[in-house]
Amino acid sequence: MKLQHHLGGLENLGPVTYEPRVFVEDWEQRVFGIHVAMMGLSAHLGDAVPQYPIEDVPTAFSSVWTWADLRKGAEAMHPFAYFQYRYYEKWLGGIGGFFVSQGYITEEELEAKAAEYLQDPGLDLPEGGDERIDDQVIRYLREGDSPRQGPATSPAFAVGDLVTVKDVPPTEHTRLPGNLRGRTGTVERVFEGDYGYFCSTGPDGIGEPMPVYAVRFEPTDIWGELAEPGAVLYGELYQAYLTHAMEEQQ
Amino acid sequence: MTVQFGYPEDREARSAARVRALEALLIEKGVITDATVDKVLGYFEADMTPLNGAKIVARAWTDAEFAERLVKDTPAAVAELDLPVGMDGAEGEHLQAVANTPGVHNLVICTLCSCFPWPVLGLPPYWYKDPTFRARAAREPRVVLKETGLDLDPSVELRVWDSSGHSRWFVVPQRPAGTDGMTEEQLAALVTTESMIGIAEVPSPAA
Repeated sequence: MKLQHHLGGLENLGPVTYEPRVFVEDWEQRVFGIHVAMMGLSAHLGDAVPQYPIEDVPTAFSSVWTWADLRKGAEAMHPFAYFQYRYYEKWLGGIGGFFVSQGYITEEELEAKAAEYLQDPGLDLPEGGDERIDDQVIRYLREGDSPRQGPATSPAFAVGDLVTVKDVPPTEHTRLPGNLRGRTGTVERVFEGDYGYFCSTGPDGIGEPMPVYAVRFEPTDIWGELAEPGAVLYGELYQAYLTHAMEEQQ
Repeated sequence: MTVQFGYPEDREARSAARVRALEALLIEKGVITDATVDKVLGYFEADMTPLNGAKIVARAWTDAEFAERLVKDTPAAVAELDLPVGMDGAEGEHLQAVANTPGVHNLVICTLCSCFPWPVLGLPPYWYKDPTFRARAAREPRVVLKETGLDLDPSVELRVWDSSGHSRWFVVPQRPAGTDGMTEEQLAALVTTESMIGIAEVPSPAA
C-alpha cells in the first residue's frame, strides 16, 4: 500500500502552508516547462483526438510521457520524502531520472554539466533546435489530449444508484482515492461518453475507455465520528472501481 | 532518509544547476530547442491566467441564463466567451464548473495529485499542491477553510470535489454585496483564484 494513494484524511499533519505562488524558485519554472514539452512531444499523441503528426516532429524524444508517468514517479517515492520535498523538487527528481533511465543522457554527464552550472550559474544554455518542436508543444497546449474515447458504452449505473467502491488490489498507480475504498455512495452524475486513461493500471482496472461517474459520499460513512457536519464529499470514479451496493451486501 | 540531517545548505543552488544542466543536455541532444521552455512559460503568462476564469465568473454574475448553461455544459458555455484559443486544450479538455449559492459552498481538491483547470485558473498555487492541504481538506474542510479566513455558516452545505477523474473543476463564487451597477470588467477584477478553487469568497469592494 502506498501512502500517496491514501492521502485523504491523513491526520496530525499540522497547519497548511498557504503559499500562493505557483513557483517559489526560478528554477522550478524550467522543470515545469520541460515536463510540458515532454507531454507535448509524447509518442502516444499520434493517436490523440487532434491526431498530432508526432512522427514528423524532428525531436529526439521518442518516449511516451504523460501525467501518468509523472504521477507514477511521485507515487514511487519514500512516503516521508513525499512530504519533505517541495512539489517541483519531486518533478526534477522524476524527470531527470526518466531521461537517465531511458538512455537519453547519462547520470555522469548530467552531474558534470550540473557542476559547471553550479560553479558558474551565469553560463548560457546551448543554442539551436528545430522550431517545429516548439510548434508541436504549443499546439498540444492549445488542443490538449482528451481522454474521451470511442463510442459511449451503456453505463452500468444510473443517477440515484447506490454504489460501493471496490477495494481493488494495490498497484503502482491508481486514480482511486484511498479514503473511498469500500465506501458506499450515490451516483449523482453519469458523464457523457467513455473515458480512457493514459495507461493501463493493471489489476487496478482503468485504462480502456469506460463510463465515469460523480459519486456523492456522506463524510460520516468515511470518517465516522471524525466527520465534519454539513459537508459532502464527491469522487469522480471510473466504472471499474464501482459495484452495485446491493451486490456487495449479498 | 537522509534529508532530516544531511540537508545541503545549497539545496536550491543545486536544484537550479541540475535543471539547467538537464535543459542544456536536452537542447544538445535535440529533444527540445533553446526556446521550448520559454515558449511554454510564455504561453501561460500571456494566455492562460486566472483572468480567464474571472471573466467567466463575471459573465455568470451578470447573465443568469449563462450561469445556468455554465454548470450544465461548461465547455460549451466557456466557448461562448471571447477568451484565448485553448480553453479546451491541455488540462481544460473537460472543464466543469460548480456554483456556490447562499446554501451551498464548493471546494475543489485533488487528493491523488494536483489536477487543476489550467486554461481558466492558470497554474496551481503551492498550497493547493501541498500534501497537507490535500489530506486535510478531504476530512476537515471546514477547519481548513476557517484557517484561511473563511468561516462558513453551519447551515451552508460544503461540497468537496476530489478531482480523481477526467473533469477539471472550478468554482463559480457568489457575487459579493456592493457590486450593483458594476460592469463585467469591474466585476472580473474582483474575482480571485482562491475564490474559484473555493477556499475563499469574493470580498465585497466596499469592505
